[in-house]
Amino acid sequence: MVIGGGVIGCSIAREVTRYTPDVVILEKEADVADGTSKANNAEVHSGIGEKHGTLKQKLNVRGNRMYEEFVKGLGVDFKRQGLLIVITPRSLPDRVTGRLPALRRQLLKELVPRLILLSGKRKGIPGQRIVGREEIFRMEPNVTREAIVGVHDPTYGLVSPYKLTIALAEHAIINGAKVFLDTEVTGVNVEGGRVKGVVTDRGEISAPIVVNAAGVFADDVADMAGAGGFKIHPRKGATLIFDKETTTEYVRGSVAEAKLFVKKKSKGGGGMPTIEGNLQLGPTAIEVDDKNDTSISAGEIEEIFERFHYLLPDFPRRSVIAAFSGVRAPTTDEDFIIGPSDTAHGFVNVAGMQSPGLASAPAVAQMVLEILQDLGVPSEPRPGFDPVRPTPALFADQDRKGRERLIKEDRRHGHVICRCEQVTEADVVNAIHGIVPATNMDAVKRRTRAGMGRCHGGFCGNRVAAIIARELWMPVTAVTKDGGGSRLFAGETKHFLEEIG
Amino acid sequence: MKKIRRPDVAVIGAGPAGLAAAIAAYRAGMEDVMLIERDMELGGILPQCIHDGFGSIVFKEALTGPQYAQRYIDELGGTDVEAKLNTLVLDISPKRRITAVNAREGIIDIQPKAIVLAMGCRERTRHQILLPGYRPAGVVNAGLAQRYINIEGLMPGRKMVILGSGDIGLIMARRVTLEGAEVAGVFELMDHPGGITRNVVQCLHDFDIPLHLSHTVTFIHGKKRVEGVSVAEVDSEFKPIKDTERFVPCDTLMLSVGLIPENEISKKAGVELDPVTGGPVVDERMGTSVPGMFSAGNVVNVFDLVDYVSRSAEDAGEGAAEYVRKPGRRKKPIRVVPGENVKYVVPQLVRDTGRDMSFYFRVERPQRSVAIQVLAGGEVLTRRKAKMVLPPEMIKADISPGDFGGRGKVGPISVEVVSDEE
Ligand SMILES: Cc1cc2nc3c(=O)[nH]c(=O)nc-3n(C[C@H](O)[C@H](O)[C@H](O)COP(=O)(O)OP(=O)(O)OC[C@H]3O[C@@H](n4cnc5c(N)ncnc54)[C@H](O)[C@@H]3O)c2cc1C
Repeated sequence: MVIGGGVIGCSIAREVTRYTPDVVILEKEADVADGTSKANNAEVHSGIGEKHGTLKQKLNVRGNRMYEEFVKGLGVDFKRQGLLIVITPRSLPDRVTGRLPALRRQLLKELVPRLILLSGKRKGIPGQRIVGREEIFRMEPNVTREAIVGVHDPTYGLVSPYKLTIALAEHAIINGAKVFLDTEVTGVNVEGGRVKGVVTDRGEISAPIVVNAAGVFADDVADMAGAGGFKIHPRKGATLIFDKETTTEYVRGSVAEAKLFVKKKSKGGGGMPTIEGNLQLGPTAIEVDDKNDTSISAGEIEEIFERFHYLLPDFPRRSVIAAFSGVRAPTTDEDFIIGPSDTAHGFVNVAGMQSPGLASAPAVAQMVLEILQDLGVPSEPRPGFDPVRPTPALFADQDRKGRERLIKEDRRHGHVICRCEQVTEADVVNAIHGIVPATNMDAVKRRTRAGMGRCHGGFCGNRVAAIIARELWMPVTAVTKDGGGSRLFAGETKHFLEEIG
Repeated sequence: MKKIRRPDVAVIGAGPAGLAAAIAAYRAGMEDVMLIERDMELGGILPQCIHDGFGSIVFKEALTGPQYAQRYIDELGGTDVEAKLNTLVLDISPKRRITAVNAREGIIDIQPKAIVLAMGCRERTRHQILLPGYRPAGVVNAGLAQRYINIEGLMPGRKMVILGSGDIGLIMARRVTLEGAEVAGVFELMDHPGGITRNVVQCLHDFDIPLHLSHTVTFIHGKKRVEGVSVAEVDSEFKPIKDTERFVPCDTLMLSVGLIPENEISKKAGVELDPVTGGPVVDERMGTSVPGMFSAGNVVNVFDLVDYVSRSAEDAGEGAAEYVRKPGRRKKPIRVVPGENVKYVVPQLVRDTGRDMSFYFRVERPQRSVAIQVLAGGEVLTRRKAKMVLPPEMIKADISPGDFGGRGKVGPISVEVVSDEE
């Protein structure tokens, strides 16, 4: 049993179904990928940013290498597009040779890129190379003129984190797993030093092995089993997303500014397109008290503008189409905590999964599988495992022929309901009746992109709500944005007037 | 390969602009006019605008939106214009090749001799104005809320805060009040209302709804559904003043924070856009930078009055018909530039001074006792007095060939608003 339907929980569950179909995922929200796994920067880092020798550094490098194999059969795009690390006068803190400008410049130009290469080599990251100033501008014409030199990191990639998580959950399901949504674990039953199962807000479920992949809540869940002893202090990160159109004019790949010898709590971030082609700028890193604090403050917006204005001057400020915040789950010592509990046999913590959790997911799943096999999960691959997850084709992703074929198969593909992202009625219907069904607006958006474009649901919002209501036999007034109390409407018109009398 | 359709004129969008343009092109002798609309009915935004105030210029009557639209729909019924509903244009090439899709015919190729772009505009969202806070349900654009209430019979909330005092925001304040919801207040960033005076009086004052000028929303509270907003007064640079911040409980934040002309496909077609209006740079016939491509209505710039939309669309429809008949080279344009206290002028170009034309413009700041002047090469062509001009109200200045006084070649044209206090 896996607690938490994020990218980590779903990766583990899918891995386990290769050996046994007897897997359950419990998720408190109305959809998988509804925690941090939907609100991150979608980068599959190479591992260059992590401190050498940490668990997360090792799993990051290993996970990155495994990605093609990991997404195979899932119907999810992964693009190894590379990262351009730009070295600027700000790449060294002032305390380092701040008063010796000539020496400083020399260091920045000659030493810093070599330090990065050396560090990459030590961590086992292949293919990094130094890029001269001219080449930087050839690769990214809009990068700051202050750029001195760069390093290209070719193994860096991009993936859609929520599409990946949904696909993993669905792949697990077609191989026998069960996913219970809207199911919150409120207690863990431990008897005589052994895990027996969990208590949820919808009843008890017994299981001899329980994996804690509860993201920012992993410390709370661990405490329920008496297997804690670590504390997660939530750290929020905000990102701005830009219109696709200006993005393609503005950046070609991902760019980041090198920052050496700074005490950093999280990677510096940068300007990176999503795999769908929208530029993202961010993230910030702010300690918060509330694990559900996914707000974005005016100060953070300012900070993002200010910080990236340097690296990417004149970025298209006016074409922000969305902003989001995600909550990281760092522990006090800032590393992943992966391992079986000594006190509750059968209970496994997979905690502290902050960045690069997404990049590390394949390696984390493999590591956890090995732990679970020690606890009794079969070690022989199962012959019945289906390596391919059936994926409904999205209209927008097809070429002309593909689109014509889709319309022939289902006329509702001729009915485009989201004009910005060209999502059709059939796309929405397929998402609603998917293997992990999309039962609210955000869930439909994650699968189809309806409402993700520049008008942000201004055109398609009512249409998507009506289709959800129709397909799920519910009144439109019961449709939610994101499950729970997030209803879109207060009622029908005239309703209040009747109440008032 | 399916057959390529080759109409004389294709009009994209069947709102008031598209309807008027299609009818005008047909009346100008075009036999094969195609009107393409992505929605399931004609009329664009008008069917949801059930308040009155439409048609005072064109029909000299106060009509509701649906009534105004119906006049044109009826007139269209008397023509041979082919209306394609539920059909979305996916792409237009600079060579005027349209790719569209609908459920009945699948993907359709259309190669018209001329095109009128009449896609209207869309609402600016909370993210485009970078509103801080959470992302709960209950943040809704005023235009979408209008559609929910007036077409679909759904109430987006019970207790609202409205940000932005544009006309749609004002009209929706009244509309939701009539539905038994409460409006805790309308908050406006500027020190003057965004909508026209009549709406401020009839929609807010008459219902005792407070209007807070020089205020903004600083934070949206609520994780699943809106629970309230923080509001604050702003200083002269529109920055919130910290100690004026206060919490207003509500379940809905309605936004009326501006409209953006919808020009994504115009851009694909290679049409040059004006960074100020957000719409195509046009001449007096609403012709764009791409020969044979015209534009009409709110896709050009946000007109306040539907009557102006219809009028400008007639020019576009006739312009398209003329182009089909005589696709030859166009005259070199004269530039039209905004002068004193004028934010922008549409059209931005004039090619032919030998016909009647209208300039539509907005002022930058409110001003009393003014003269509105059109100049060419520095010489005043026309002058008209006005008691008061306001930024939210679009102004129209008409010019006839006689005003050019037989000048053959004229210098740059400009429109200006100057003080008339002697
Ligand atoms: C701003 C930001 C940017 C980031 N960018 C990157 C990046 O570019 N690359 C990268 O590799 N990493 C990145 N990360 C980190 C990455 O997002 C995380 O490491 C990853 O998503 C963690 O996945 P998870 O499954 O552990 O957590 P989550 O996705 O949060 O999943 C945990 C799930 O458990 C559920 N849950 C919790 N408690 C219970 C309970 N009691 N009962 C039932 N269910 C429960 C939650 O609802 C949630 O769905 C970023 C993080 C942030 C915040």
